Formats: sequence, structure tokens, C-alpha cells
Amino acid sequence: MGDRLTLSDRWTAARRDASMFVRTYLQGRPPAPLVRRRRRPTPLAVVRGGADQAAPLDGRPLLIDEVVRETPDAVSLWLRSPDGAEVAFVPGQFLTLVVTVDGQTLRRAYSVSSHRAHAPRVRLTIKAVHGGRVSGHLNRAAAAGATVRALGPSGDFTWDGGREELVLIGGGSGITPLMAIALAALRSEVPPRVTLIYGNRGLDDVIFREELAGLAAAHRGRFEVRHVLEAPPVPWDGAEGRLDAAQLEDQLEAIAPTDDALFYVCGPEPMMAAVRAHLDTRGVAVGRRREERFSQPAEREAPPPTGPQPARVTRGGVTEEVVVSAGETLLAAGLRAGARMPFSCTMGGCGACKCRLVEGEVTMEEPNCLSPEERADGFVLACVARPCGPVAVEVDG
Amino acid sequence: MLDRIADLLPSRVQRQVDQFREVFELAAELRSPQILRSLGPSGARGLLLQRGKQGVPTHFQSRHRAHFDWSYPADQPEMQDLYRRAKHGQWNGEDLPWHIDVDPLNPEVPLLPESFVDFSYLEEQGIRLDALERRKLLHSLATWMLSQFLHGEQGALMASAQVTEAVQFFDGKYYGATQVVDEARHVEVFHRYLDDKCDRVYQINDNLFVIIDALMEDSRWDMKFLGMQIMVEGLALGAFGTLYRMTSEPLLRALLRNVIQDEARHVHYGVIALREHITKELSEAERREREAWAFHVSMLMRNRFMAYEVYDEWFDGILPRHKWRAFVQRAPGMEIFRRTMFSRLVPNLREIGLMSEEIQKSYARIGLMQYFDGRAAPDLSGDELLADLDHAA
Repeated sequence: MGDRLTLSDRWTAARRDASMFVRTYLQGRPPAPLVRRRRRPTPLAVVRGGADQAAPLDGRPLLIDEVVRETPDAVSLWLRSPDGAEVAFVPGQFLTLVVTVDGQTLRRAYSVSSHRAHAPRVRLTIKAVHGGRVSGHLNRAAAAGATVRALGPSGDFTWDGGREELVLIGGGSGITPLMAIALAALRSEVPPRVTLIYGNRGLDDVIFREELAGLAAAHRGRFEVRHVLEAPPVPWDGAEGRLDAAQLEDQLEAIAPTDDALFYVCGPEPMMAAVRAHLDTRGVAVGRRREERFSQPAEREAPPPTGPQPARVTRGGVTEEVVVSAGETLLAAGLRAGARMPFSCTMGGCGACKCRLVEGEVTMEEPNCLSPEERADGFVLACVARPCGPVAVEVDG
Repeated sequence: MLDRIADLLPSRVQRQVDQFREVFELAAELRSPQILRSLGPSGARGLLLQRGKQGVPTHFQSRHRAHFDWSYPADQPEMQDLYRRAKHGQWNGEDLPWHIDVDPLNPEVPLLPESFVDFSYLEEQGIRLDALERRKLLHSLATWMLSQFLHGEQGALMASAQVTEAVQFFDGKYYGATQVVDEARHVEVFHRYLDDKCDRVYQINDNLFVIIDALMEDSRWDMKFLGMQIMVEGLALGAFGTLYRMTSEPLLRALLRNVIQDEARHVHYGVIALREHITKELSEAERREREAWAFHVSMLMRNRFMAYEVYDEWFDGILPRHKWRAFVQRAPGMEIFRRTMFSRLVPNLREIGLMSEEIQKSYARIGLMQYFDGRAAPDLSGDELLADLDHAA
């Protein structure tokens, strides 16, 4: 832009003014009282659905550029957009892969583990979990040249600069978002001190083992990796045992984080619970903690399907009447009917499709990312909500 | 009467009618054509079009003149002294005790005490809040105030930079540069406090936007100066002082303590620069225009900071807006705020020559003449300001 406001600037501003005036004074919809903050899921990540998109819930295609075996049961997929565009993400965010296995469409969240310097490629690292249909399939069958479909990126387990110290605590495949955060932090203009406490069963299970060692060597004094192994090789000079509260206490005593350090935690639920309890006892304020939790699909409670139900979806004063088929989610039905509903991960993990239930009841797949406060305020996640009877929801914006 | 009729309307319509009414009332207040010309467009952009809340950056077209002087005069000893003091008074925002964990809902360390508002009024309206809800509402109000400080400081950052370019006193330019740094630091620390410790930022209040808009769009440096150094800084001192007195949160107290000391210098500079200019250089008509402008902005500041953003979050559709206004107006904390603000502002206006006998009548009508004999900024150091507040608390 030049140093003077151009005619076109003024025209854009006038249109914005007019729409603000109409919304506030004629439609009675005042602007939101809070500033939308940048740390939250990026607006870019939120796909605006609508009738113009044929099948928005199927995501967009990404090409598998390269497949790298990280451990016997974990594989990295380097993906790129067929049109060459950069897949933008905030370090720590995840993509939802939409994969068809045995004729059934399944959705799984995988964190981006690469750095922006790798653009236009992004890396997803997938560990085969016991009985996992998608993770098993990708570990066995993913090959360069194939196409996957993806949604997002989504999630607010992110690092957006700032802070002098980061403590990353990960278990198993929980390393993936932490890797992206570590890479971004260490390559930032004013890099913070970063410590990674990383728990695994054995040395062969350590994802990114060499890459982490290389990073630690390149950023000596600023980046430290502290491995904790349940079944370490002999000899082993790292810590031994599970990454539980006692172990964490030892580790944190050793690194002595400052009172300003930010904690990022991602791993299996027992580890997360132990970390949470220990950080509570240390008096680490909730504002200095970030947690990422991926539920295993097998653990998710799928509610029993009900028959077709009428639903009303209101957004911006416009109401769409929708019929939700048996087993269909509110989001899928709403988008099918052309309602403008925001969404991102489509699996209850990011909150982009959060809307207020003003009438009726729904069942939701659990666990999901809604906080107890949001539930108490009547919010539901359209992407995992299925109506039990006639319902009405209001979507913000 | 109007309020009672309005109460009969459905809540959504009621709200729209009330918002329109506010705009018309403001237009009616700006009686003189000169004032309407100067504040009217800003009023429309702020109140009707809500430019500050559109979710996109705002662009202002600045029209001030940059004043260079190749002879580098050193003829303003009072400003030289302020410059020296400002250099010694610099502090680093990172040195504040950021390690203090702030739990806004901790009843032991409230951001604002319950006595800040009058909950019994809400109960009379049938709204009974439990202990946790009360703390949450007080947290919202405290965060709202801090958010307005933040937005005001952004205005001050831009305005102080423009004024530094425009001012004709060379010693003023030296000093002005320190103020630009001060304002940047204030934006830094308020934003960090809100982002890290309160986890939310409220949108800019429409009336605050009107004032900032008016300053940015006015090409005359002394209007920017009057608006920013005297009016907005006076408002800030009132608000900072109130919060400083009332909060028990140690990090916020430490932060405000430092900020108040800077602000005291800023107002002092505004007074000495404008006193010279208004009493010696302006014609009587020009002086009268500024006097009327300052009076109207005072009214705007007295009557219109109603925390509607908090209302929208909490009570939209539950409580009529005029009842929320009554709740805010009668809050004991707001009374302290108005008192602190005008006890600083009115003596400063007197000092710079914008309190002729004629305008005194207008100030008397709105009950502000009681502050006329107070001490103006040049007679009041930052330490004295703080001592006053500590004493009052």
C-alpha cells in the first residue's frame, strides 16, 4: 500500500462500514466483545463451508512426496499440495487425514512435525497403534506418489513466539507437535531455552532420535534432550523408568525451569495425568501449560444412531432448516443443506465448529475438546454431535 | 419515561433503539457547529460504524506538519529538565515480577474488590450472582479497564510520535522521543499482562475510538497535544490511579506504579508546551475553540465509558442497557475513577489557559468546578501522585 489511502482502500472500508452498520443497528447483532486473539486456531485453518464446495468434509488432496521409516512402527509422510502452494500451519497444529480403509471413511488427527523451512513440504509422523486401522494402514501401505486427503491445520496447542524458556514433555508419538515447536523455537530470531523430556519404551522406539541429537549438538546450551526409557539398553546413561510423577520431579529438579517457563505436554493419557498432577503440586499456573490430547478412536464412545431429525441452524440472522439422517453429524447435515458452518478438524479436536445448542438434545463422541465451562454454557461441537430429537443451534459470526 | 417505554419492546429491538439514542444524544451534546465539525465525523466512525471493532487494522490519514529546525535551539529549560528526568526514569518492562502467578478468580487476591460495584442494584433487577459469578464479573470489568488502557496506550504511541515531529520546541522533540519509548513500553506491559495473566483482551470502547480518531485526523499539532497529553493522559491517570488504589494483585500494582510515574511526566510536558502556545500564540477565537473542544471531550469521558463490551458478554438480552448504565454509573469504583480523573484534569486545563470564566459556568453545571483549585501537573511529581494514591487507599 502507498502512503495515502487509495480509492480502493476507501471503497473496501466503506463496504465494511456498511455491513457493520447493518449488522449492529438493523439486525441487532453487535460485534463480539473480545478481540480475536492470534494464538487461537488461525482463521486460515478454518474452512468456511457452503454450497459452493461439493464435499467440504472430504478435505483437500495432498501428494505423498516421500515416505521415511522412523522406527519399526512409525513412519513419516512428507506431503505437498499438488498446486505447489505452501501448507501453512502454526507450530504444534495438526492435520486431519481422511482415509478410506476397507471401504470405510475414517478420520485421524496427526500433528505436523516439520518446520516452515521445509515448505512447501510438511511432515506428518504416524505411529502404528495397536488395532489402529488408519495408522496400521498408513504404516503398511503409504507410498510416494499416492494421494491422501486432509483437513485443517487445526488446534491451539501452538507456540507463537515469545517466552524465554520452553519445557516440552512428550511420550511416544506425542513427540510430533513438540518437534515442530522445538524446531520453530530454536530457529526463531530470539530463541528461548528449550528442554525436551521424552519418554519411550526402548531406544528403538525413539522417533527422530538422530534428528534430535543433531539439533542438540547444533544448539548446545540452548536445547537439551532428556530421554527416559522403560527398557534401556546396556550401558545407558539416561534416565530409566516410566515418565511418571516421581521421574518428572527428578527431571525438573535437574533442569530447574524458571518461573516464566511455558510447559507443553503431549503423550498417552496416563503420562498426561501424571504430568498434570505434578505441575499442580509445583504450582505451575494453568496459563503456563499447554496440553494436546489425542484420543484413540477405539476409546471414543460412538452414540447409538437415531432416526432422521429436523434441525435449525442459525448464523448471522439466517436460519437453515436441515434434516439430519440417522447417524449423520450436525455439521455434515448442515453443510449438505448449504448452511455456512465453520469447521476444521471434523473430529472433535479443535473447537472450530463450536456452536450453541438452543433447543433439543444431542449426543457427542467423547472425549472431545470442549471444556467443562463451554459445556455448561450450552456449547456443542457440530462435527461430533448427533441430534436425539428436533434441535436448534446458533453459530457465531 | 423513555426508558420505561423502551422496556416494553422486545430485548433485541430495545438494544437497537438504545444504541441509536446514544448517538443522537451525543450529536445533541455537540451543539456548536465548530465542535460538530471536529468531533462529528469521528463520532460517526466510532459509534455508528464501530471502526475499532471490525476485526481489521484501522488506517488513519495523518495530515500534520513535520517541523525541522537547523539551528537546534535550546531555549526551554523546563523541557530540558523533563528530558533529563525521563532518561533517568526509564525502566525495562521485562524486569517486572512476571513470575507472579495471577489467578483472577482467587478470592484472596482479587483484581478488583467487591466494593468496586454495587451488587445490590443487580439484585433489585432480579439478577442474583453467586460468589464465583461475582468474581468473574469483577474479573471481566478489570480486564475491560486494562484492555482500554492498552488501546489508549496504542493511541498515545502513535500520537506522541506525531507530536514529536510536529512540535516547534527543539527541547520538546528530545523529550517527546522518550515519551514514544514510554508508550511502547506501556503497550508492551499491558498486552503481556492481559495475554499471559488474564487470557483475554476486550475490543476498544467506541467512545475511546472516537477520541483517538479525532486526534489522528486533526492536522493541528496543538489539538493532538491537547487531546493526547491533557485529555487522554488525564483519563489514563484517573483510571490507572483507581485501579492502583483498588487492586490487591501485586504484579498489577507494580506495573501500574511504574506506568503512573511515566504518565505524570507526560502530562507535565503537555501542560508546559501548551501553556506557552495557547497563551502566547493563539487568537482568542482559536483559544475558545480549544476550550469548547476540551469541555466536550471531558463530557465524553465523564458520561460514556459504560463498559458495554462487558454488558454484551454478560447481560445482553437479560438486562436493559439503561439499567446497566445505572449499574455502572452508581458503582463506587467508577465514582472514584471520575474523581481521580477530574481532580487532575481540571487544574491542568486551568493551567494551560482553557478555563475562562465563561466555560467555568459549563463545568459548574456538570459539577466539575470543585476541582478547579487543585494542583496542576508541573507542581506534582510522580512520587507525589503515588503517595496521594497510597494515602487514599
